[in-house]
Amino acid sequence: MLFNSFPFLLAFLPLVAAAYFLVPRHRLRLLLIVGASYYFYAYAEWWFPALMAASTLISFAGGLLLEHERFRYRRRLVLGLGIFGVLALLGYFKYAQFVGGYALDFVHVITRQQFPGLHAFVNGIVLPIGISFYTFEGISYLVDIYRGTLRAERDPLRYAFFLSFFPHLIAGPIVRYGILQPQLLEKKPFDADRVRSGLLLFTLGLAKKVLLADGLARYVDHYLAAPTELGVVSAWACAVGFGFQIYFDFSAYSDMALGLARIFGIELPWNFDRPYRAASPTEFWRRWHVTLSSWLRDYLYLPLGGNRKGEQRRDLNLLATMGLGGLWHGASLNFVAWGMYHGLLLSGTHHGRRRGWSLPRPVAVAATFLLVVIGWVLFRMHSATAIGQVYGGMLGLRGFGETPGHLLAYIGVSAAVVFGLPEEWRWPVERWNAAWVAAAAVLFAVAASSVYTSHPFIYFRF
Amino acid sequence: MRRLVLFVSLALALLSGVGAFNWWIDPFGEVWKPAAVAEARKAGCLLSQELVGVRYYSFKLDVFEHRPTRTFVVGSSRVLKIAPHPGEQSFANLGYPGSGPETILKLFRALPPKPAQTVYFGVEAFWLNDTYVLPATDPSDSSIAEYLLSRNAFERSVELARQSHYLTSDRWQRATIGRGCVIQRNYPSIAWRLDGSRVWSWELDPKRYPKFGATPYTGDLSTWRNGYFADWHSLDEERVRALEQALSLARTRGWHVVGFAPPEPPHMLHVLATDPRLAPQWHGFLRLMPRVFARYGFTWVSLEDGRRLGCRSNQFPDAFHTDAACSLRVRDRLDEAARRAD
Repeated sequence: MLFNSFPFLLAFLPLVAAAYFLVPRHRLRLLLIVGASYYFYAYAEWWFPALMAASTLISFAGGLLLEHERFRYRRRLVLGLGIFGVLALLGYFKYAQFVGGYALDFVHVITRQQFPGLHAFVNGIVLPIGISFYTFEGISYLVDIYRGTLRAERDPLRYAFFLSFFPHLIAGPIVRYGILQPQLLEKKPFDADRVRSGLLLFTLGLAKKVLLADGLARYVDHYLAAPTELGVVSAWACAVGFGFQIYFDFSAYSDMALGLARIFGIELPWNFDRPYRAASPTEFWRRWHVTLSSWLRDYLYLPLGGNRKGEQRRDLNLLATMGLGGLWHGASLNFVAWGMYHGLLLSGTHHGRRRGWSLPRPVAVAATFLLVVIGWVLFRMHSATAIGQVYGGMLGLRGFGETPGHLLAYIGVSAAVVFGLPEEWRWPVERWNAAWVAAAAVLFAVAASSVYTSHPFIYFRF
Repeated sequence: MRRLVLFVSLALALLSGVGAFNWWIDPFGEVWKPAAVAEARKAGCLLSQELVGVRYYSFKLDVFEHRPTRTFVVGSSRVLKIAPHPGEQSFANLGYPGSGPETILKLFRALPPKPAQTVYFGVEAFWLNDTYVLPATDPSDSSIAEYLLSRNAFERSVELARQSHYLTSDRWQRATIGRGCVIQRNYPSIAWRLDGSRVWSWELDPKRYPKFGATPYTGDLSTWRNGYFADWHSLDEERVRALEQALSLARTRGWHVVGFAPPEPPHMLHVLATDPRLAPQWHGFLRLMPRVFARYGFTWVSLEDGRRLGCRSNQFPDAFHTDAACSLRVRDRLDEAARRAD
């Protein structure tokens, strides 16, 4: 079920919210949300909840065993098995097609055998939406217990709530149990101000998605459908347009998730903070998909040694971390290339800083924006040929080309929002007076009436 | 609390307003309008396609229910010119664009089992194209709700209301076109008689509406006849099964069924019979159908050759659909086959 769909806006959300506040007992409320979240997930495919239940069971049981074990090697074994268990599900459903496809191609080159049955089998594997997100949440839970920074949850209902809570289930933010668990201990009374604040934040996200991200998508998709026809202006417009589109799309989802959770009395961690205002790639990753980048830092980069083992090792760690981060986005080489490109940017930033290079902040912001936009081409185009064609257009190999007027207008509006306004979750919606609230209601109606032709969120694929 | 109530009530009021306005104008014809049909029936007028929209299924059920139907025809848009004889009240045309075995089965199930009916069942060869996607019948309630609340529909509604000011007070109007009257909105490109048969705009008023011509056959199956015959590799067994289910239901109810393939103009019959991409499937279809109908005790009449029926090429205005005169010949042959079966 999409947040930007009528079944969600007009049926699921009002019914679940009403039932939540009508149910008197706290545990029943938790049960209600878990049931609703499993229904929400099953709406996409009936068997997806079984997968989430399996992942929940593995990490929950792993957490209890980890806390129970005293011997270091046994704790390592339990941690390894737990991580392997949840990763195995992700590996099979997300990467079997990728690995199997390349393996079969390789075997075909060597043996000239086709194996159509195997091809059909690997191509038939369906990627369950949201699996990348709850897998990472399960891993962080196990590792935090192993490190002793978190106590294992003994209540399966609270743990099931943590992984399945529908606002963050499909596309994050990636929540850590330490943030959520204290909020699940007591019943939240109905608070009209809090509900209103959640609804307003949700409205801002919905409007950002359907009015900005979808508007940009219409033109970006149109031009990128024929990359060989891109001149220098349209190619750059597409790259910049996609940069704004993916930002509005994903940050809108995060705003909506934060707003929805707030309605139910839960505060989720914010995920974006105007990343295009960053003055370096390092700062960009402190502002972009923050819950993922901090996850990668804490559970991958630092365990690999971080920057504690010399410069060369740090560069390697950055490349590995960002490469795997890219692969997390999708089982495709273009995502790995995108991740490694950012790994190179990050290590380049460290080297530049060590040599004392610095730029005035506005120039640094512009340069970072440019570098990030160049990287988005790797993310958006899925074949080497298409990537080359877009870069060719950006380099002017096909001349000036046509001027995409509508797209440029959208880019202008987007730039004004991005560089002129604070991130939406920072807006003081809880203090808005009646006039602002009425304006938001109009915005909600306009945005809700636009969901009929809305695109799915980009991050649903990951 | 007051600001929460303000937000929710204002948002709901605005969305309700959009929904109500879209329902009133219904710019893309997704809302079933029985009142428009009733008005056309009462006034003895035709009903414009604009007011039927995509609700063919509901319209045809309404046609059936409001006539003492004993004989009806089902099939695609190519059977829509098959009309009652002058003064004949017991005949109804229940065909519609985009119908197929599954939707006809659904229609049969929706019809009352008594009294027994004589059914003229027009079967299209392209229904058995395994890549042909059958359009849905009526939209679901939830999709209509989504449509009514959509900004697209709202923008189009505003545009239509600006073009036709009467729409702010009336959802449709009665207009005289040629020598007949039509319950319509803006442009009656196609109109329906209340027996379910179809009238082209150029038949209504040849001076005002130009007669459309045939798109020349270029050999590109993806564009020929809306691509219905493209990528046809085998006879779709699922569709044959649905057809058999419909025939089985008809037999259970004691109905008489006469099957036929609507006629083809000579040059198109030649394409179907000789193009190597189509010929095997076309001949397979012609061999299979009589056997399928016979299996349920029903008759199949071979009407696919327009020339043998006496229909000339110019009686297929778009080289696909028959005109009224050719359709009358089809009707006569079907009546004859039904009489023989009795």
